[in-house]
Amino acid sequence: MQFLTRIPIQAGVSCKSRVWKCVKYYPFLQAKRFVFWGTSKANDWNKAVSDAEKIVGYPTSFMSLRCLLSDELSNVAMHTRKLVGTKHPLLKTARGLLLDGKHSLQTRGLIVLLVSKAAGPSSVLDDDQDMVSGIYPRQRNLAEITEMIHTANLIHKGVVNLSDLVEADGSLQDMAFGNKMSILSGDFLLANACTGLAQLQNTKVVEIISSAIGDLMEAEFTEMKDSDGLPVLPTSVKFSHWLQQTFLSSGSLLAKSCLSAVTLANHNEEVQEAAYSFGENMSYAHQLSEDLKPFLRPDSDLQDFSLTSAPVIQYAQSFGTTTTFSLMDMDLKQLLNGVLSGHAVEECRSLCNEYAEKSLQSLDIFIDSDAKQALVNIVKATTQL
Amino acid sequence: MAAPSSRLQKHLLRLCARKAGIKQILFPQNISSTPAKSLVVRGKLSGRCALQKQLKNGFIPHQSCSHCLSTDPAQQTRVLTEVDPFQLIEQELHTLCDDIKAELVNSKKELQTITQYYFDGKGKSFRPAVVMLVSKALNSHTVASERLLPSQKRVAMIAEMIHTASLIQDDVIDDSKTRRGKESVHMTWGHRKAIFSGDFILSVACIALARIRNERVVTILSQVIEDLVRGEFMQLGSKEDEDERFAHYLKKTFKKTASLIANSCKAVAVLGDCSEQVAELAYNYGRNIGIAFQLIDDLLDFTSCEAVLGKPTAADLSLGLATAPVLFAAQEYSELHPMIMRRFSSEGDVMRARDLVAMSDGVAQTRMLAEKHSQEAIKLIRQLANSQTRIALEQIAELVLKRKK
Repeated sequence: MQFLTRIPIQAGVSCKSRVWKCVKYYPFLQAKRFVFWGTSKANDWNKAVSDAEKIVGYPTSFMSLRCLLSDELSNVAMHTRKLVGTKHPLLKTARGLLLDGKHSLQTRGLIVLLVSKAAGPSSVLDDDQDMVSGIYPRQRNLAEITEMIHTANLIHKGVVNLSDLVEADGSLQDMAFGNKMSILSGDFLLANACTGLAQLQNTKVVEIISSAIGDLMEAEFTEMKDSDGLPVLPTSVKFSHWLQQTFLSSGSLLAKSCLSAVTLANHNEEVQEAAYSFGENMSYAHQLSEDLKPFLRPDSDLQDFSLTSAPVIQYAQSFGTTTTFSLMDMDLKQLLNGVLSGHAVEECRSLCNEYAEKSLQSLDIFIDSDAKQALVNIVKATTQL
Repeated sequence: MAAPSSRLQKHLLRLCARKAGIKQILFPQNISSTPAKSLVVRGKLSGRCALQKQLKNGFIPHQSCSHCLSTDPAQQTRVLTEVDPFQLIEQELHTLCDDIKAELVNSKKELQTITQYYFDGKGKSFRPAVVMLVSKALNSHTVASERLLPSQKRVAMIAEMIHTASLIQDDVIDDSKTRRGKESVHMTWGHRKAIFSGDFILSVACIALARIRNERVVTILSQVIEDLVRGEFMQLGSKEDEDERFAHYLKKTFKKTASLIANSCKAVAVLGDCSEQVAELAYNYGRNIGIAFQLIDDLLDFTSCEAVLGKPTAADLSLGLATAPVLFAAQEYSELHPMIMRRFSSEGDVMRARDLVAMSDGVAQTRMLAEKHSQEAIKLIRQLANSQTRIALEQIAELVLKRKK
């Protein structure tokens, strides 16, 4: 039992050493699970994204400069230097935001903008002149809010339970300070998201996006997460567990942001449903492809796969109620081989295609446009494994 | 404004007064000469039930009500001196916690347990009480009906939720071990889950806010959330300049405490269809109450003991925070300045600062400042039409000064 609940299978951290405590505080690396970008087919993805960025008329950086350049966040940045040398996750999160920013940060916002543009101008509103590159200013604000919420959540996930600290993590004082900075900067982004939402002057959208924030929080209280945010396999796990987890931790925000984008332009219910369904299914497809990657690399090194990734769950599901019992006896290598020997990978691959196909079908409601094509390209880049 | 003319009105007022523990009300003979002081209360006030209720809620109105009346000439003739503010909204307050809990029902049982943890009915419910009373007073000012609108009740609920969410997060940041007489959330469930629960309560509050379907109210209350965070950031640094330091402290106090009360009051005014002017009045009443409330809070951190307060004392100093009593004391004892600058981080700083505050006028001056804000609040609220709830609001302004925890 101890073994299973403590496996910190996270990207980039060697599990061979089995120094669990050491790698415990990298929950932010789960961020990698959401990044719409991977190494193998990075070029397809990058091209799809950079083409799409031209279409929405803005280069990058939807994360408002206003926010990043604020006194508050500069303050955090200054204080965060004190954390150098500790293992506080905020350091890595901050580094990730800056270095990886180009690829990880804006994809959600980008999709929101593309959906906005694909849906076109409103039939009710006649303020087309406000549109820039076929997108309403309020839709751009929404895209920014989506990014802020996502980032705030990443940062808050890096809060550490101080009672389970070990010496190697850094002094209690430093870690407490790191927590403080994480909480404050996450809160700051959330608060800005709140005031930004209010400025959209649409209470329906406020309600939808607020519920997405709630879903992100709920994701931390499922059977698939332990109290430190590490993945846990529940007994008699089913694929529906994976779907629920993926929905709460990423699908909801994307689906509800897409829904809100078309709601802001007063599009009808049919369009709203399509936008929502696109976001939701796109999330599943993307997460499946991310989860599959470690299993498709021939030299897979036990590094990148999560205990709650789709292939493992597909595999575990075949064990029925004895899941935990059976998997408990395996080490990671055995588990990996087990997954590879069965049909789990193939099943996940076809599921990935299925969800991608579903998301593409949702786009049928939109007339052909460069924005729609960009969305298609992004979905296709996701499924090219 | 008019003094009770009909028998029925007098009867009703007597009934209310009796409810509030007042034995006798004298109606003035000459109505026109004393419009603002139309009801004079005299005589012995047993006021037991009112007193007990307020004690339970952490407020102690007067050492003894009759004592007040007989010794303080300024208070000899007052408008219906003792109503029980909390009793006027007892019913609404009673269901508040259950309403909030209903909002927080969730399929993730642990999340539900944590988020409902503080809504056990044992809190002071100060904020929702003020919001509800202000709503009623405003309603009777504009439409002559005290009835609380459902949307106004929602605002009271949202205010309490936002407040509680910020408490959970503050406790993690400050590492406070206890809150409201029990273990803080993060002591039981860990720091991560505490933060997620706080965020969750906030998201549920935002959903409830959106469902009021009033864009203006959404804007007003989302400002509160931003102010709370900005206030927390302001607490990170200390200002070099002395004058700037006090302004900084007051601004922080507004953002961290008063903004919630002020903006909630404004929100219920908007919902009650009040004029801009009245909405502004409600806002300023809330602002003054809020600042007075926090000043007393900061003062109690020096004067009260842990058992009464339900949280550790001199906590602010240990956190490196220089609040009003210290800032006032520093005017007398300049050795406090370097301590403030280094946030009481050297050994012995906290004890020494505590002693210096005790020797100085810091506490008294803080109380005076709080009194000033309380009086301002009373002055403002008296511009509203006379009503039971208006009187209760005047009293709230006084209770804020007299609370012991």
